[in-house]
Amino acid sequence: MAPLTIRQATKSFGALKVLHGVDVNIEDGEFVVLVGPSGCGKSTLLRLIAGLEDMTSGDILIDGRVVTGLHPKDRDIAMVFQSYALYPHMTVAENMGFSLRMQNVPPEERARKVNAAAEILDLTPLLERYPKQLSGGQRQRVAMGRAIVRDPKVFLFDEPLSNLDAKLRVQMRAEIRQLHKQLKTTIVYVTHDQIEAMTMADKIVVMRGGHIEQIGTPLDLYDRPANTFVAGFIGSPSMNILPGEIDPGGLSFSSAKGTRIVLTQPLEYGVGQRVFLGLRPEDFELSQDGFEAVVRLVEPTGAELHVTLAAGDEILTAVFHGRPDIEEGATIRVAVATRKLHLFDRETTLRLGARPAAHGEPDGSERQS
Amino acid sequence: MSNHALTLGGRRNGYGLFLALCLVTFVNLVPLLWAVLTSLKHPADAFTIPPTIVFEPTLDYHRKVWFENDFFRFLTNSLIVSLSTVAISVPIGSFAAYALSRIPRRSAGPILSVLFTIRMFPHMLLAIPFFVMGTFLNMIDSYPLLILALVAINQPFTVWLMHGFFLDIPRDLDEAAAIDGCNAWQAFRIVILPLARPGMTVAALFSLLLSYNEFLFALVLTGAKTKTLPVAIASFGGEDVSAWSLSAAGAIGIMLPIVVIMVILQRHLVRGLTAGAVKG
Repeated sequence: MAPLTIRQATKSFGALKVLHGVDVNIEDGEFVVLVGPSGCGKSTLLRLIAGLEDMTSGDILIDGRVVTGLHPKDRDIAMVFQSYALYPHMTVAENMGFSLRMQNVPPEERARKVNAAAEILDLTPLLERYPKQLSGGQRQRVAMGRAIVRDPKVFLFDEPLSNLDAKLRVQMRAEIRQLHKQLKTTIVYVTHDQIEAMTMADKIVVMRGGHIEQIGTPLDLYDRPANTFVAGFIGSPSMNILPGEIDPGGLSFSSAKGTRIVLTQPLEYGVGQRVFLGLRPEDFELSQDGFEAVVRLVEPTGAELHVTLAAGDEILTAVFHGRPDIEEGATIRVAVATRKLHLFDRETTLRLGARPAAHGEPDGSERQS
Repeated sequence: MSNHALTLGGRRNGYGLFLALCLVTFVNLVPLLWAVLTSLKHPADAFTIPPTIVFEPTLDYHRKVWFENDFFRFLTNSLIVSLSTVAISVPIGSFAAYALSRIPRRSAGPILSVLFTIRMFPHMLLAIPFFVMGTFLNMIDSYPLLILALVAINQPFTVWLMHGFFLDIPRDLDEAAAIDGCNAWQAFRIVILPLARPGMTVAALFSLLLSYNEFLFALVLTGAKTKTLPVAIASFGGEDVSAWSLSAAGAIGIMLPIVVIMVILQRHLVRGLTAGAVKG
């Protein structure tokens, strides 16, 4: 358990700069997820923390101690790799006890610690097996067991669930979260999957192109994305982001493709400005006061209806709960409450003002799950 | 090749392919069969045209080779030289191969190309400088000289062979070992080397074969004391017709120890070769 500080982390591979002076502060015991598209630098940052790559400049502190330049074994960290990286010629018990063997821990104590970790992860019946005799989920747990046995200050996870099927991934997400609650160790977790980030993290760091776009709690990022990239990245299906202008009077929005979207209440800011308008699919409501749209596609998922709408030349995605009677080809009227709109500056893509909460209403109280 | 692949074009194609392969194998084995037959014939039978198929076999010449011509002494020399070559070149080669598999490809490529170029030098070119060096150091007709020369000329091949096997071992394992507390040597010795065993076995067997069969270097660098089997057997031939049966018996004699070793270690050889092939 330890706080982790990353100061101005910069990494270049030759002429290619992949991290541009990144700063992150992680509290003791926090579960922090680094998320972003491929190539954003999240894995590189993780490897810098682990010491598997040298920093071009900057510092990393674990529990107040500068670890920049130290060999991975001297940083008191443990890592779970995407490929698990289990030693194929060693049994599960030997894999898990390997770091203790390197520390010259006596065999009895080694066995005790391995057995304790195996019990937490339900691996006790598998201790004498070899990795090739295990399923993907079991190998993943052995990789976690190997990390737990080290009792490190920081756990590092590098996309550990990518190689698992969807159902197993959901199960392992919960198990990792449970493990965190039990061990209370600081965790830095890398993933490209924003759903993993949203469901597991205490704090999310959204990265793109070697820069940090936003750091915040999952709901922070969902309710108040700092720019259009974060807005489009967090949330599934993605937010509809339309370039256009807020019409004078603040009563409607004209998109660049000529679609006019009527607003439920007048906007108090951004009027007359060139903006990006953000509409979350789950914020759409069927409303006679809304704007017209033609239903192009209806995809029922059971609990929800994913609907593709055409409003003029704009294509929008909407998600309705329950089973409203919507047919493909029909024309419906939909609206998004003004307080649920997101506005971003057209030039800078940054969020405009605070999201206008209705007077006296705390943010998020009307959020649908 | 699976049975399915063999019968891909139907059963007839499978049988046809099998027969063709048998024919090719037979053609390749003809010199060997000829040598075996010649070694069992009296010289008079050995030189008839057309060749005598039915003859009275004799083990006289085999007996002469093994017990009347110092065969065991030359075999011992051959085994000392070839086993020492393997014992030196495989471990050293494994260090180089491992390092080359872990540095960026653009750096490893030129180094491997240089190694390969050295391998392509005709032995005749290299034998003379070695002879000159050996004379200067007063090491002609000594084991160390021949062993070192064989290590030098076979090293590129062993490095290249093992490099492929080390490339197949994921780098994640090196990193996991580093995090688990290993320095570079410990990671290599405890984690990587056991996984490279099939590759090293293949490299060892090829190295053994190449050094055991080496004729030119042995001819140039050895003398009465350290003469190896290929050089010794070569002197059995000549224009004297009667020595040809002896020569054939000698050729069979040279082959036997290696064939025995290969048969015993065949499983490892096949495993090593196919492991590399499947992973590509």
